[in-house]
Amino acid sequence: METMTNIPRSRWFLPLFSTALGVAFFVAFWLGDERGSAWFSLALMTGLGLAFLLGGRFDMVRGLRGDGRDEYWARLDVHATALAGHVVIVAIIGMCLWEWGHGRDGSPYVQLGALTGVAYVVALAVLRWRG
Amino acid sequence: MHNVVRALRLERGLSQQELAEAMAVSRQTINSIERDRYTPSLPLAIALARFFGLPVEEVFDGNHDEHP
Repeated sequence: METMTNIPRSRWFLPLFSTALGVAFFVAFWLGDERGSAWFSLALMTGLGLAFLLGGRFDMVRGLRGDGRDEYWARLDVHATALAGHVVIVAIIGMCLWEWGHGRDGSPYVQLGALTGVAYVVALAVLRWRG
Repeated sequence: MHNVVRALRLERGLSQQELAEAMAVSRQTINSIERDRYTPSLPLAIALARFFGLPVEEVFDGNHDEHP
């Protein structure tokens, strides 16, 4: 009987994703002529990727990486993602109020808030439709 | 949900890790179930009951669910 409620990711996904992000940060900073920040962000994200790759003996790391994820970890992931989403939404609302209070138009927080709201409603509708 | 997984596991002389491997889940999952901090999915609950050779209702007691 299948007891896993999601497909575990490869142990390589998160390390490679971190490194790819580091490379993207490096290119962006380099193009912006911020050479110091470019090298720092590349080293930081590559180091993080290495830590994820080599830290497999820790359950927390395997849970984050996805290769040690089962239904319990999947539930933690959903709850943690929802909590992080709430934090971001509260921050966006706060920043909108701050910007408006200082006579500005609220960009880009208004757009981010609208995107968040639309994404939530669309996700809800799609999930409801899929049953 | 209240359950007797810990008692059944100890009766059989199994560690949490061994039971976790038999169920293809993490040790934390077994630990959380035993401590009534996590209610397993129906497939996992059935798999646990079958593993111990008991009906699901003898392993898990829905009457003591903290979220009835």
